[in-house]
Amino acid sequence: MAKTKQPKLPEIGQWPDRLAPAAIIGALVLTTVGFLMAFFYAVPVNGAAVNGAELIGGSMVTSKLLLSQKIFYFHMPVAITSMVVMVFMAYYCIRYLTTREQRFDMCAKVCMEVALLFVIATMITGEMWTRFEWGVWWTWEPRLTTYLILTILVIAYFILRTAIDDPERRGVFAAVFGLISFLDVPITFMVTRIIPSSLHPVVMRESGMTLDMGLTVAVCAVGFLLLAFGLYRFRFRGQRLAERTQALKEALDE
Amino acid sequence: MASKPSAWRQYKILLAKDLRREFHTKDMITSMGVYALLVLIIYGAALGQTSSSLDVLQMSGGLLWALFVLTSLLGLNRSFSYEREAAALDGILLVPMDRGAIFLAKATSNFLFMLVVEVIALPVFWFFFLANTGLPASMPYVAVPLLLGTIGMAGVGTLLSTITAATRGKDILLAVLFIPLIFPLLYACVTATTAVLVGSVDFMDAFFPSVALSAGYDVVMLLASWALYDFVISA
Repeated sequence: MAKTKQPKLPEIGQWPDRLAPAAIIGALVLTTVGFLMAFFYAVPVNGAAVNGAELIGGSMVTSKLLLSQKIFYFHMPVAITSMVVMVFMAYYCIRYLTTREQRFDMCAKVCMEVALLFVIATMITGEMWTRFEWGVWWTWEPRLTTYLILTILVIAYFILRTAIDDPERRGVFAAVFGLISFLDVPITFMVTRIIPSSLHPVVMRESGMTLDMGLTVAVCAVGFLLLAFGLYRFRFRGQRLAERTQALKEALDE
Repeated sequence: MASKPSAWRQYKILLAKDLRREFHTKDMITSMGVYALLVLIIYGAALGQTSSSLDVLQMSGGLLWALFVLTSLLGLNRSFSYEREAAALDGILLVPMDRGAIFLAKATSNFLFMLVVEVIALPVFWFFFLANTGLPASMPYVAVPLLLGTIGMAGVGTLLSTITAATRGKDILLAVLFIPLIFPLLYACVTATTAVLVGSVDFMDAFFPSVALSAGYDVVMLLASWALYDFVISA
């Protein structure tokens, strides 16, 4: 360890901290604009394109103009954001395992916290979508299943963290589990998607997005990404300050 | 003038140690086997209201894998707790041994114990619930999802049980980490097993992609577990 070059650690006061307040303000503006665009700019579209009428979860579903489709403009950007945050989480896990710097463990943990927020938001908006679009509260559809598993994995990550006291060991175990979960999510999606099953009607046939839809999604996506970044940075700052206060207290006690 | 034994030799020694211990105590096989039998008895009550064994046949894959996952959890919990209890793991780690060999030896012994229990439980399940339906011609293929599923569960489970053996409340924690992680494998194996047990003419349509995906999961997850094991065991 002594011979290797000291890695540059994320610390408060570095350039991301100067961007974080602007990011939060930008996020508030863009998500509000996106919200208004979803209702006033994007034209109402047909719901899930079902061939004729199909039986899903015991009720007949046909294609129709749906106001509930508006949830899509928040659901998809939130889902994308949660995935991006997971990528950063995996990056910090690898950094922690290679450098053993507690700072990276903290970064990975904060990423996971932000990811939890966005994953839960995805689940809630997704639930609204399934209920009003497909007429069921729950169906074991690939995306739903994948997100359910992802939610449980993220929660399991925190359960694992609370079960270990030694910080070094906690960091290693959490990083290993974080990486393995990160690998597990795409596999879950592929498995539930590819394997044919009589129980899963393919209700989602993507027909591409029109310009107004794409623009609204893009505005919302940028807004939520900025929000995730701002939240991450403020949370990191809070955690780091708490750590430094603790260190100062201990130094004063001696 | 003893040279360092090869990783293969270390692997064989460690595996033989686990098997010898099991041969003396019969600890794992007995507890897992009895547990499997108890789950089957619960199934007896749970399926008491089904009118024909054809109803059971549709969910036989799921019922079997639920049984396998529960018994595997029991075995995995034990596989590392006794190493920790007697501080035997510290002894193993003192030897300058290849960490990959430790992982593979432990995964192999877990795999073997799980497989023995599964090979016993499968005919018993058939005898209890499906005896009237007759054996489908596709029956021999059941070995494929059984092997692939057990390999994956043993690999991921060995990594996770090493993690949870060093934590508080380890029994429940292993389940919390293990079940969501093996979900895709479970899903694929249940599909393949059900396809084989139902044994319709076109069972290959569901069987082949499921088996291919299970194999893919095994490759990815075993490599990841093997690569990350060094960090876990040294922590």
